[in-house]
Amino acid sequence: MNRLVKSSYLTAIYSFFYLPIIILIIYSFNDSSYSLLWHGFTLHWYKQLGDDMALAVVTLHSLEVSVLSATCATLIGTLTATCLYCYTFFGKRLLHGLMFVLIVSPDIVMGVSLLILFFLMKMQLGFWSLLFSHITFCIPFVSVTVLSRLTGLDKNIFEAARDLGASDFMSFKRVIIPMLWPAILAGWLLSFTLSLDDVIISFFVTGPDFQILPLYIYSLVRIGLKPELNALCSVMFIITLFIVGIFQLVLRKKEA
Amino acid sequence: MKADRLFKWTNLVVVWLWLSVFALLPSLFVFLLSFLENDAVKLVRWKFTFINYLALLNPLYFKVFWRSFCIAALCTIICLCLAYPFAYFLARLRSKYKNLLLFLVLIPFWTSSLIRTYAMISILKAKGLLNTVLLFIGIIHQPLPILYTGTAVIIGLVYSLLPFMILPLYVNIEKLDTQFIDAARDLGANTATIFARIVFPLTWPGIVGGIILVFLPAMSMFYIPDILGGAKSLLVGNLIQGEFLAAHNWPLGSAVSMVLTCGMWLLLLIYWRANKAGQQHESIGEI
Amino acid sequence: MKLYRYKWVVCFLFFLSSLVNAQEKLVNIYNWSNYISSEILRQFTKETGIKVNYATYDSNETMYAKLKANPHSGYDIVVPSTYFVDHMRRQGMLRALDKTKLSNIKNLDPALLNKSYDPGNRYSIPYFWSSTGIVINTRYHALGQVENWTDFWNPKYRNQLLLLNDVHEVFSIALFALGYSPNDTDPEHIRQAYFKLKQLMPNVRLFSDDAVKSLYLDEDLTLGMAWNGDIYQAMQENSAIRFIYPQDGFIVAIDSMAIPVGATHLDNAYRFINFILRPDVAKKISLATGYASPNQAAVKRMPRAVLNNPTIYPDPKTLERSVIQVDVGAAEAIYQKYWELLKVGG
Repeated sequence: MNRLVKSSYLTAIYSFFYLPIIILIIYSFNDSSYSLLWHGFTLHWYKQLGDDMALAVVTLHSLEVSVLSATCATLIGTLTATCLYCYTFFGKRLLHGLMFVLIVSPDIVMGVSLLILFFLMKMQLGFWSLLFSHITFCIPFVSVTVLSRLTGLDKNIFEAARDLGASDFMSFKRVIIPMLWPAILAGWLLSFTLSLDDVIISFFVTGPDFQILPLYIYSLVRIGLKPELNALCSVMFIITLFIVGIFQLVLRKKEA
Repeated sequence: MKADRLFKWTNLVVVWLWLSVFALLPSLFVFLLSFLENDAVKLVRWKFTFINYLALLNPLYFKVFWRSFCIAALCTIICLCLAYPFAYFLARLRSKYKNLLLFLVLIPFWTSSLIRTYAMISILKAKGLLNTVLLFIGIIHQPLPILYTGTAVIIGLVYSLLPFMILPLYVNIEKLDTQFIDAARDLGANTATIFARIVFPLTWPGIVGGIILVFLPAMSMFYIPDILGGAKSLLVGNLIQGEFLAAHNWPLGSAVSMVLTCGMWLLLLIYWRANKAGQQHESIGEI
Repeated sequence: MKLYRYKWVVCFLFFLSSLVNAQEKLVNIYNWSNYISSEILRQFTKETGIKVNYATYDSNETMYAKLKANPHSGYDIVVPSTYFVDHMRRQGMLRALDKTKLSNIKNLDPALLNKSYDPGNRYSIPYFWSSTGIVINTRYHALGQVENWTDFWNPKYRNQLLLLNDVHEVFSIALFALGYSPNDTDPEHIRQAYFKLKQLMPNVRLFSDDAVKSLYLDEDLTLGMAWNGDIYQAMQENSAIRFIYPQDGFIVAIDSMAIPVGATHLDNAYRFINFILRPDVAKKISLATGYASPNQAAVKRMPRAVLNNPTIYPDPKTLERSVIQVDVGAAEAIYQKYWELLKVGG
């Protein structure tokens, strides 16, 4: 197909994704506290952001939880997907069903039921209750993604590995994981995205000493979102692009 | 062989332990709650009853479920149509920047969805970017009333859920072996046939994965539809939220959630049955 | 595999850091949004040495649901609005307050104390009060055109109204218009209010709790209802906006500090509440948020411009038309049912 058509389509979709982000960044310079129209340029909000320690702490908390929960969820989710694909065991249908229950459950139902669980377990609400909850709701997203890649994989490869004397663990480590690598990465990315922006479940399961960014932002909604938040999101966005860019450069150097 | 059994059981134990405690138990609480009676003071009365499920036989609730279903289905179809070509072009790109491009799909979604939605509002509103540009070019002569209509809701939902369709499709299309396509082309097939008979069936697991990750969450989403749609109607998510929070009726809220979950299970069951019947597509991958 | 081991070290370090936070000189506050600025919290910590954990929620309902599901959520102070104080105290979720530990309580305006939602203020200490009223943009509507809630039903306002997305706020409009109280529990009256609201629906452009300020500011909407604090701040950026206290009645909400039964740092909680009751602190909070303070001593120190602004401090004659919300008890389910019907029919 025409190369121009392909790149135009890709560019169009990327533009769709990035247009609100660009608007968001532009409005972080808006000289108005609550208006959504342009009123002039100011650096006031970035100055305020620099002074706001509370916001920095809250953002750091969010990143902590999201990175950890994405990593753990990717691990458990990949194991779940391989179990569902490779093995037959009692309760396989139930496990499958549980995955879908987790995806379809409304946030508030999950939030309240997990809160009741932590109450019964006499567990203090805080970082750990938040982490366990985030890992739990991310797992099905990883397992569905990994499973979609597993399904249709050439089963002969596993037969060949077994014939050559490899144990299940070896074939898992040396054959399955490398073949699944894009799906595992995709699962991590989806989990990180979900966890970073979760509001309702986090609201119910976090404790008084562990506030995270999405809760902070949503609770400001009633007062009105000041452009200081736009400034924060812009800064985070630029830093992320920077990190991803560095990461890409390092990887390229390694391959060379 | 012993190492194999150990490996298998370690896997199963880790998975089952985690999910039993954090997924199965809470789900059982919800199941249990839906059969209890609501109490104004203590929240629940320990009395087994079907009253919550009977209350759902009201045509009001059918309307709400149907509306949610239609919106979720429309959103899923649009996502699929937009995501498939994107994932296909990206996956088959012969570029060293492929991973970077994949990251770039998700980076916008690492900013707060609320801030992004407000950015979208400032684009879509009567004095916003979209209308200003269109009026300036002269395509329209009056601002388009997109905000606080169904169109804005669909745009918002598609925007939020598109990556969840792109990624499963991408990981599936990425492993597609070009040998099949080359062989088919050698045998004289045109692009349409290649797509319909080879590419589409082989990427079917990716399509299913994407549909699951988009349709199911879309059924219970309500916050973004409320902001962009003006909160003038109820979706299933509003209903459940309202019962839990405003009405303090946890049993009824749990019952609605159970009905939603079972409804989705039913759809998946129908898919599984249909899939078993059409197993012939699988055999292509085993050449 | 190296990375695998590293992950557990990191987890362990985080675990340690979370333990360090479990100090004694601590108070956990659960409040609406950002109503108490970090500057004031820092001032408190500086004066008393007590660290403050400030967590936020965006509605009474979510705060209530969390405390109900887990009474040991860890909060020492919560801030419910009027009828939620009523609801929570009836269910034994709040501690009775030891007034001897609150020396600054004498600063409060007696007119705002001892209301029916909490007789004798046994469980709550007011720290804000606000009103819900009509918002009008004088650039589009002549002042005096809309004086009552009943004016909303005028067909010329088709698809122009902004209503708050709260069942009681919206039903109060119809109940006031019909001459009933917003706290009415009679199912027949609520039914009538529902039918009245159904007639209003064609005039409603949207329901919203958030972004109310920006919608009125940017003149996306020029008529509707809102809380007076929001409008006071919107007026700073758009002078065409006016806040009107309807002639047929309006709601006054009082936000109060309360101590939940599961609180663990009681003395620190009392010290914090007493700190908030200081005139200089109360004045700072009130000026920052645009809401009225029930603290008489603080009000005396307010700038003239603010005191004389009827948007925040209505005169006593206007206040005679106000009604404070109380818990409607079992009628809550009826209200919720009609609210759902209203939304689905639309």
